[in-house]
Amino acid sequence: MYIISERINGMFSAVKKAIAARDEATIQKIALRQIKAGARALDLNVGTATDDQIGAMVWLVESVREVTDATLCLDNPKFEVIKAGAEACGDNFIINSTTAKEADLATFLPLAAETGAKIIALTLDKNGVPNTAEGRVEIAAQIIIAAEAAGITPDRIYLDPITLPINVAQDQPKKMLETISQVKLLSDPSPRVVIGLSNLSQGTKEKSLLNSAFLAMAMGAGLDAAILDPEDKLLMDTMISGEVLLNNTIYSNDYLKAWRA
Amino acid sequence: MEEIKEKWTGAVNTVTVGATEKEGGTRKSTVTIGGETTLPFLHFEGSIPYRPALALDVLDNLPEEWPEVLKEPYRDVLDNPAQWAALCEEKYGADMICLRLKSLHPDWGDTAPERAAETVQAVLEATTIPLIIWGCDDPEKDNLALPLCAQAAAGENCLIGFATEDNYKTLAVACLADHHKIVAQSPIDINIAKQVNILISEMGYKPEDIVIDPNTGALGYGIEYTYSIMERIRLAALDGDRMMAMPIICDVGFDSWRTKEAKALKEQFPGWGDEGVRGPLWEAMTAVLLLQAGGDIVNLRHPMALEKVRKQIDALMGNGE
Amino acid sequence: MALTGLDIYKLLPKTNCGDCGSPTCLAFAMKLASKQTSLDECPHVSDEARAKLGSAAQPPIRLVTIGTGDRKVELGNETVLFRHEETFYHQTALAIRLKEDDPESESRVEDINKLRFVRVGEDISVDLVALTEESGDPEKYSAFVERCRANTNLALILVSGSPDCLKAALEKAGDTRPLIYAATAGNLEEMAGLARQYSCPLAVRGKGPEETARLADRIKEIGVEDLVLDTSPASLRDELTDQVIIRRQALKRHFRPLGYPTIAFTDPNTDKFSRALEASVFIAKYAAIVVTDLSEPEYILPLLTTRQNIYTDPQKPIQMEPKLYEVGNPDRSSPLLVTTNFSLTYFTVEGEVEASRIPAYLLIVDTEGTSVLTAWAADKFNAETITRALDESGVVEKLDHKNLVLPGYVAVLSGKLEDESGWKVLVGPKEASGIPKFLKAMKKRSA
Repeated sequence: MYIISERINGMFSAVKKAIAARDEATIQKIALRQIKAGARALDLNVGTATDDQIGAMVWLVESVREVTDATLCLDNPKFEVIKAGAEACGDNFIINSTTAKEADLATFLPLAAETGAKIIALTLDKNGVPNTAEGRVEIAAQIIIAAEAAGITPDRIYLDPITLPINVAQDQPKKMLETISQVKLLSDPSPRVVIGLSNLSQGTKEKSLLNSAFLAMAMGAGLDAAILDPEDKLLMDTMISGEVLLNNTIYSNDYLKAWRA
Repeated sequence: MEEIKEKWTGAVNTVTVGATEKEGGTRKSTVTIGGETTLPFLHFEGSIPYRPALALDVLDNLPEEWPEVLKEPYRDVLDNPAQWAALCEEKYGADMICLRLKSLHPDWGDTAPERAAETVQAVLEATTIPLIIWGCDDPEKDNLALPLCAQAAAGENCLIGFATEDNYKTLAVACLADHHKIVAQSPIDINIAKQVNILISEMGYKPEDIVIDPNTGALGYGIEYTYSIMERIRLAALDGDRMMAMPIICDVGFDSWRTKEAKALKEQFPGWGDEGVRGPLWEAMTAVLLLQAGGDIVNLRHPMALEKVRKQIDALMGNGE
Repeated sequence: MALTGLDIYKLLPKTNCGDCGSPTCLAFAMKLASKQTSLDECPHVSDEARAKLGSAAQPPIRLVTIGTGDRKVELGNETVLFRHEETFYHQTALAIRLKEDDPESESRVEDINKLRFVRVGEDISVDLVALTEESGDPEKYSAFVERCRANTNLALILVSGSPDCLKAALEKAGDTRPLIYAATAGNLEEMAGLARQYSCPLAVRGKGPEETARLADRIKEIGVEDLVLDTSPASLRDELTDQVIIRRQALKRHFRPLGYPTIAFTDPNTDKFSRALEASVFIAKYAAIVVTDLSEPEYILPLLTTRQNIYTDPQKPIQMEPKLYEVGNPDRSSPLLVTTNFSLTYFTVEGEVEASRIPAYLLIVDTEGTSVLTAWAADKFNAETITRALDESGVVEKLDHKNLVLPGYVAVLSGKLEDESGWKVLVGPKEASGIPKFLKAMKKRSA
């Protein structure tokens, strides 16, 4: 499982403050902690800390790059912000994200093709997020076809079937699981699938447990990557156990320790 | 036709056994194994920086039960481990010696731990190649003797075996103290193989100083299990599993010369052909197959097996490596 | 691997007419990809699409048959690169090469017929004879083939670069479906013509995988599809590389021109011992046929054993023949140990008994190849099955006592087993490694 840290996000107050104050040390500390806990990539989201999103993104990239070479996941709906972040990165980054809207595909795909970056693609189009698995698979197919035309192989695409809060749309997790197993059949190589996990449990009492249970199910359906907080021990233990249960990692009595060794 | 190469993310650990004078020992040569970034001998895909190493077994007590074919090459030295080891180095060209302290075992002599340490010293003095020290497989005696042997060989950077899931602490402490490499053994079980590595690592041992012994089995006697376990270990290593990234030692001589097919005389089984070829070939073929599954060190017994396995390695490393 | 949803979608009319029952063509394609519907449901699909979808359904490595009748040899149809992923299905055929000019060739046919062994209850033997033309004389070669054919049931490989010689030989032996070796860039049309005329499989020899693939593709266009590939590698290292590339191209890329079984030759210029080792590498790494001129049993037995081991289904472990085994030279007072017929269990127990240097009898109970605990859980290793094995083995005649040693893990069976069999049960160690100590203590007590 490819773990993308969710913690460097302007919606968290500490990060918001750090961005506003250009406090590098705080950001760098979070970055290193998340990597130590198992993150392979760091999602960077400036949130609403400042009006100057471009400046904030470039600053975030530069701050984090000072302490780690880990992959950076540039998280913003605006092309200009991502482009500026991409230039600051140089290489080793993920674009987060495009949608299936024509305008988005027309800008984000060429950027991914030029830079060799991987790209997260949300299964939504001009009509929004389809309510069915079939609808999401149709959109995923459009994205893969457009990406192939742009010279991007499906294994560079991370499809995001879009997580909605359980207390708002309880029928959605099951549809997401269907979507995950279906889109894996779309192409060879298969597209990757990523989910942003914490949205699922927003506003609930059992955040860690709900996230863990759903992560395990999604892994069973074929999930490749998740945006989450690797410092959540229950969640990470669940992920590591899932890897063992799916025969992706060799079991041993101390497999949890082995993973963290 | 598109090129087809796997993109492995991991590599096998590189391990050096033996220490020259400059490195604090007395060896004239050292042996380095591991470092592969692809499957065995697939040079087109990744790097295979070192050749698999071949050791010859030396026993510290007279192997009366050995078949004549196997005794013959060592006829005059079977009762003298130091001379035996020297013969393996000088005449038969072994890369390493595997000294097996069998006489420690309560059933095979029950000799004193101090004697084992003396034998280690004598073999080191008689040879200039790296040394593998192999316990007698009686946990109590090994725990008494191997620390003494580790001390006696301090500075020589030996490979000492073996640590098991139930008995690893004493050996790990001894190897740590005297800077030796350690063999982690498991009973043809990949999960335990990984577990022993974790346990030893937790003692403060660097994963890079461990060599895996998956327990070999012989051709016709369970080799298919070891073969697949070794393939899985190697694939896990290449996929980045640090607790499976150790190079592998195969104790082939011991296991293959236990088989009826290696030992039986032509008189007993006329349809099986000449035992002078069949025995060494049984051993060599076991070795060659396990090299295909990822073996990095092979312990052998018959000099002809050593010579012919080396020739296969030459051919597989080939083309100006 | 089957086609993906998008592969199929691209072949559909993309009208979203709904006649198939699915709302969109993509939805229908997805159902096809997960094998939940049939292409026949779409009334508008083109013939071209149908053909493409049909060919994708073929196995990635073609199944090729050499010979006829009960000694026919099936090759190919493999599905994995590593045996633990599933299993290897069609074991490497071992072929022994006989040369036309060698006066001993014909007597050697007789010896080759005898290269059969029984290992762990399975018959293992050489499969093919490769008859090499050397004279360039069609009459001489066909007479040689005819004589050899008369003396063996084994399937044949006809080895010659001369289409005339092969044609003459096929007149004599074409009805046995021999493998014709080999079509090359220079003789491709003639060789393919022979293969068509006599309905025989054909080997294709190119230089390296690329050229071999091109030749195979051309031959396929001529209408011959039962092919065997030879990349004529210059070294063992190249051979291994080519074998891996061919297997990967076929399985992972579904590259049709390399989707055939392979043939490999041991190097005649090296010593016999090394040739045997080379052959074992070919068996492990993907050759469907290995041709060698070794025919002495000391070389062939280990090779056939290698093949048996590598081609054992990891899900169906090798089973020992259930019967009474002797370890060392047991006498009437020797102990009797009982265990299951899982081969690894047997080898481990036998090894430990041997290491103890106390001769013993080993009674192997038929548990369908399962280990002690598994067999016990599945009720295959219980008082009844053990008692039956005791009775059928006749061991009671061989001993002056009626004591048996039961594996420690199934100590729970003791009482019932004593009642059922009338034997006294001694509970042995749980792990085989405890056997030497146990047997020694037993001996001490009885002494």
